[in-house]
Amino acid sequence: MDRALKKKISHALEFAGFTLPAVCMIFLFVGIPFIMCIYYSFRKWNGIQKGSTFIGLQNYIRAFTNDTTFGNSISYTLIYAVLVVILINVLAILFSVLLEQSKIHGKGFFRAAFYIPNIISLIIIGFIWKFIYSRAFDSLHAATGANVFAWSWLGDPKLAVISTVLVTVWQALGFYMLIYIAGLQSVPDDLLEAATIDGAGKLRQFFSITLPMIMPSVTVCTFYSIANSLKMFEMIFSLTGGGPGSATTSVALDIYNTAFNSNQYGYGSSKSVILFAMVAIITVIQVTISKGKEQEA
Amino acid sequence: MKKQKFGSTIVFIILILFLICYLSPLILVIFGSFKSYSEIMTNVLSIPQKLTFGNFSTVFSSMNYPKSFLNTLIVTVIGVTGIVILGSLAGYKLSRVKTKYSYLIFLFCIMPMIIPFQSFMITLVKVSKQLGLIGNLYGLGIIYWGLGAPLSIFLYHGFVKSIPHELEECAMLDGCSPLRLFVSIIFPMLKPVTASVIVINAMWIWNDFLLPLLIIGSSGDNNTLQLAAYGFMGQYKMEWQNIMAGAILIIIPALVIYMIFQKNIVKGMVTGAVKG
Repeated sequence: MDRALKKKISHALEFAGFTLPAVCMIFLFVGIPFIMCIYYSFRKWNGIQKGSTFIGLQNYIRAFTNDTTFGNSISYTLIYAVLVVILINVLAILFSVLLEQSKIHGKGFFRAAFYIPNIISLIIIGFIWKFIYSRAFDSLHAATGANVFAWSWLGDPKLAVISTVLVTVWQALGFYMLIYIAGLQSVPDDLLEAATIDGAGKLRQFFSITLPMIMPSVTVCTFYSIANSLKMFEMIFSLTGGGPGSATTSVALDIYNTAFNSNQYGYGSSKSVILFAMVAIITVIQVTISKGKEQEA
Repeated sequence: MKKQKFGSTIVFIILILFLICYLSPLILVIFGSFKSYSEIMTNVLSIPQKLTFGNFSTVFSSMNYPKSFLNTLIVTVIGVTGIVILGSLAGYKLSRVKTKYSYLIFLFCIMPMIIPFQSFMITLVKVSKQLGLIGNLYGLGIIYWGLGAPLSIFLYHGFVKSIPHELEECAMLDGCSPLRLFVSIIFPMLKPVTASVIVINAMWIWNDFLLPLLIIGSSGDNNTLQLAAYGFMGQYKMEWQNIMAGAILIIIPALVIYMIFQKNIVKGMVTGAVKG
């Protein structure tokens, strides 16, 4: 009895010794701040003074009824996310299939080359594209006379939204291609050969065999692309600064501005909680839907 | 057979053409970094007339490159080392112990993966202030432990499942202590995941901007490369030739990390991603 107890205690100590360091760090730098954020979302707090006062749901009511910038940032973020998720996944699947199911040389080279933009920090990406959209497009317009290059890609509110989408797709395409290529490598060749012998065209092969087989990759890629686009901050911070006006202000950028530029920490906290809820709800829905699709397939 | 060869040549040509367009912005950046102010203002698209490194030296000193580089290196090394140690210890134990509590703790550990950083950054700053980590490079590195541990625990946890128990049981019978067992037997076997965890986190911390902005701010001496970049790009505004040179100086270290660990990045991202 005594021995069993001793053994139990030593096992518990061992377990704690291995897991506690990580648990503490996660709790300290994610858990506590997250709980505090929920707490402060019900309070008025300017971040400078020590005290804060309880104001109930006022922050949330204000966010949803009396803050056009925040409203705009939600609709911008959703439009941006939808466009990015669709474009990125369609293009990544297209290029991965082209690359993987053809018999060309230098596949590794292409994979690595497409991945290059992904290793550049988003802040730098923003600056590079600011240069491309302004200086390079001016020169291209002068050289080719094509009107596309004369458009105000960063100055027109609607076009600026598209610009941010294009930059994101450009930057992240290589990453998603990697995941799809890994998925494609698990599609057995003989299945495709059998289909060819049975007379199925390339397109038919893709929709009846390849696509159902890579559904797990689709789930992962939609998950990643949704989560990443809903919290986009840095690229927008350096490319457009949220402008023109607030046309490209994402929720994340609006939270930053609310808290650190206008010192409304309590109000910013409530927006943070809203952002979390948005991401949580959308990703849960997405994962449920695509897990269902995977089982069907 | 002939037809197939023809088809793949066409695919090859399409891909090459697309790749050139795809990477052309970066080619323009390289061209731009060698041009003079007047040259970049008049002709962006052409190849630079001569190879001058003037822009690089301007930028090198104005963003205090060696110091910023060293700062970023310190933060990255502290961050990655901690993440590997904490992640492997916890991921291993949580995977081996199959009780309800262990599973709950595992869930707690990986939960932060779905919490966007921006939804707790405001109060993270407050917590860091109270802990005295603001403006402190070591503090910044330590904060990354908490933010990076969830993904690495997830990756280690998945990998440990594929390692057989027998070895550990033998070692235990021989009277090997749990920590000794971990350090000399388990950890070496985790090498493939460790490589992935290192590269994923190193690239992330090296390129991260928002957390350093919040923790270090614009206190010149402790600038990381990304902060320095943001600072001097604001300062030079329209002097694109300097901005492009700066961009290149900042991309190169990341490119080197990527080239060294290229194989692991693919493996790690993919196994991590597909298992999730």
